Amino acid sequence: MYKPWYSFLYIKSPIAKVLVGTLSLLITLAALGFQSLIEESRMAAQTANWDGRSIEKGAEIWNNNCKTCHGPEGKGGIGVAPPLNSKHFFEKRLTEIGFAGNLRNYVRLTVAGGRPVKSRPEWAQNMPTWGVRFGGPLRDDQVDYVTNFVLNWQDQAIQQTDAEDPWTTVVGTMDAAAAAAAAAPAGPQPPQALFVSMGCGGCHVVDPNSTQVMTGPNLGKLPEVAATRKPGVSATDYVHESIVNPSAFTVEGFPAGVMPPNFAERMSAEEIDSLVAWLLDPNRTMP
Amino acid sequence: MAAQPEIEKKGFVQTVLDVADDTFTRITAGISPAEFRRMLRGEPPGRPNPRLKPHSDTFLLHIKPTYYHESVTRFTHTFRLGLLSTYLFFFETITGLILMIWYAPSPDRAYTDMIQLLSNVPFGQFMRDMHRLGAELMVVMVTAHMVRCYLTGSYKAPRQFTWFTGVLLLVMTLFLSFSGYLLPWDQLAFWAVTIGTSMADAVPPQVVGATVNLLARGAPEIGANGLLRFYLLHVLFLPLLLFLFFFVHYYKVVHYGISLPANEEEVGQDTANKVPADKRVYFLPDVMLDESMFLIGFTALLVVLSIFFFQAPLESIANPGSTPLHTVAPWYFYWLQGLLKIADKMIAGVILPGVLLVLLMLIPYLDPNPSRRGKDRRVAIVSGIVAGIVMIIWSWMGTPYYAVQGSAQIEIIQELMPEEGAGLVREIGYKHLPVGDFTTRSKELDASDPNPDLNGVTLLYEEDVAALNDPKFSELYEELKKSTENFDAEKQDFNNAYAVLAITQEQSHLRRVNWRIFWVDHEGNPQKYERAFFIHEDSLYWEQYGWRANIPDIFQKAMHCYFSRPDGQSTEQCFASRDS
Repeated sequence: MYKPWYSFLYIKSPIAKVLVGTLSLLITLAALGFQSLIEESRMAAQTANWDGRSIEKGAEIWNNNCKTCHGPEGKGGIGVAPPLNSKHFFEKRLTEIGFAGNLRNYVRLTVAGGRPVKSRPEWAQNMPTWGVRFGGPLRDDQVDYVTNFVLNWQDQAIQQTDAEDPWTTVVGTMDAAAAAAAAAPAGPQPPQALFVSMGCGGCHVVDPNSTQVMTGPNLGKLPEVAATRKPGVSATDYVHESIVNPSAFTVEGFPAGVMPPNFAERMSAEEIDSLVAWLLDPNRTMP
Repeated sequence: MAAQPEIEKKGFVQTVLDVADDTFTRITAGISPAEFRRMLRGEPPGRPNPRLKPHSDTFLLHIKPTYYHESVTRFTHTFRLGLLSTYLFFFETITGLILMIWYAPSPDRAYTDMIQLLSNVPFGQFMRDMHRLGAELMVVMVTAHMVRCYLTGSYKAPRQFTWFTGVLLLVMTLFLSFSGYLLPWDQLAFWAVTIGTSMADAVPPQVVGATVNLLARGAPEIGANGLLRFYLLHVLFLPLLLFLFFFVHYYKVVHYGISLPANEEEVGQDTANKVPADKRVYFLPDVMLDESMFLIGFTALLVVLSIFFFQAPLESIANPGSTPLHTVAPWYFYWLQGLLKIADKMIAGVILPGVLLVLLMLIPYLDPNPSRRGKDRRVAIVSGIVAGIVMIIWSWMGTPYYAVQGSAQIEIIQELMPEEGAGLVREIGYKHLPVGDFTTRSKELDASDPNPDLNGVTLLYEEDVAALNDPKFSELYEELKKSTENFDAEKQDFNNAYAVLAITQEQSHLRRVNWRIFWVDHEGNPQKYERAFFIHEDSLYWEQYGWRANIPDIFQKAMHCYFSRPDGQSTEQCFASRDS
């Protein structure tokens, strides 16, 4: 019989063959034994892994869609949208509105179905419907990802003191401001403070170099473009009109009817003028 | 009735022994204990040979030959590749059947079912890895089996039809593997199958192609119907078809015998029926021992590989609206994808593969060479090797390295943090991604030519990265720097490039990895590109690197939770907590 050079590798003895087989069997059993030892731990790690990955995906969706109104850190915007990274939201919101399900159901429902009516008239717009089942762009799994992301604020939010809780400043001030406005009008506020307290920052950036896409136009370029937006209207008049009567003109590429129409009621004429001047000043200082 | 007289005649002990002998012989279908002992001792069979009886009496053995020619029992003649392919088919059937318990073929459920299987089913991931590994190996083994038969000229007379059915089995194996690809319903699966079925679209005339495509997908786009169709193909139709053709193939193998080495058998000889008595190796016990021990060893290999080294990938859920960058077909179709890059869809996707397939089937009928010896078959062997090399080149061309490179700034990020899959950033993970803004520019350059976009940002430089003393993050930083510099050197419109990697804490356990790349284009205009990803502390991205690297961690956690968890904590609580 022809013998190749590697023929010394052949196992000839039946005993050796059986030994190799037995050894293989033992290796298999040992490997399976090891696997069963770590199986519980592996399943826990996998569960955490897929939860973690869904939060990553939720964060992307949040940054593309929700951040502009609810704020990059979820701390909301006055007059724009309520905070979600808030102790009040995690601990008292369900009781406050008497929702029967848990917070996860509440968030998922709100993201998917949006809000058919505003919970407060002050909000700039209704929460849009995001779920594909209700005419929005997100699939069910994506709605779940965003929900996981929002609920991941819990650790941080429940540590907030009442003073730190953005709910107090964002939602609480609306009642306080209304009460204050009704009682005794306070002195005019500086434009920087107005920009924050009126919630302008929720939809507008004021940075000529920013490429961030938000709900409203970038106001950084306003000193250059304001005079040319509407033919025959001066820059000052254009900006003034845009604040007191936002629906009069909508910049191309942005949704109409989003900007709240009630700023004229919420600010004094003097405040509005100072805000217009500040917005048109190319050397303005940011709040 | 007859027990008492027998006991009286032979005594109680002898009667029991006889009954035991008889039972043993019945179970083994004709091998008595005495014969079994002779087998163990390696003695020749008695005459008439009682070791042939199980072949005539049992179903499973009646399809196996009773003896083989000594020359074909040597491992290096066949490498037992046919046996392995067959074994893998049954292996896949069993592991697949187990996986079917946790799977529903509907887009609403399929992907969630996969995650449930991985995170809530004991040994679920193991079964999935085994099934996937078995599928990949089955393609490898069937192909290797064909290559072996080609190189030894085993397809020549009288075995032409055996080869023909073998090629059919190869095609079925490929389709079986491919149809299973879609079932996890993730991005990898969805786009690989979309590419695959779109080739059917090119079948001329147009109406036929469109109809074939529509039949495969169940709708213009793959959806619920397409998934169900692929599922049925995968679990029912293709296995049945393969099973049927396997028996046709195997019947021919047994009928003509396994071809002997070329120098021992002339073309046209029918060795199976004319093995000289002194060359016979009987199936029982020699070949059976070889085969069973070999398969036990192979199974051990599969188990060890699945547990420690191989992970079946699972990407994000299928999203028909977004094609991930660098989508690829399964590796065994890379060659087809490569062809599609250089030629028209109809030629490369339908006509050429069709012609190749027909040629492959007809090789035995086209090859006029009467000799099977290597030295007489130089043309056949060289052309086989050339064909193999061409396949490898086409396959390389099918990978994203050929002809689909995107622009530099996208490729830099894709390499370190791809849209799907792991990449270096996810491999080193959350723990090794310190918060800060890291730039690949030098401090001096930044001081002399500051970037207005980075006003107010406290940048960290190479020396700051070194001071962090984290070798894994340093590796990432070096990679980013190197790849930016490489693209800078390579591309005309990508100059003075540098990257700023900003890592911020987005939420507890969640960091944002923001990539900003700045460069100057060939007209001298400054350009920038920005892209953000997120990474969670618990994300393992195990499918490529993480899980294997995490075995020690997971083992440690298991030991901690079983043996040294704090008082008052249950095992479940311990596993759910983050400490180890």
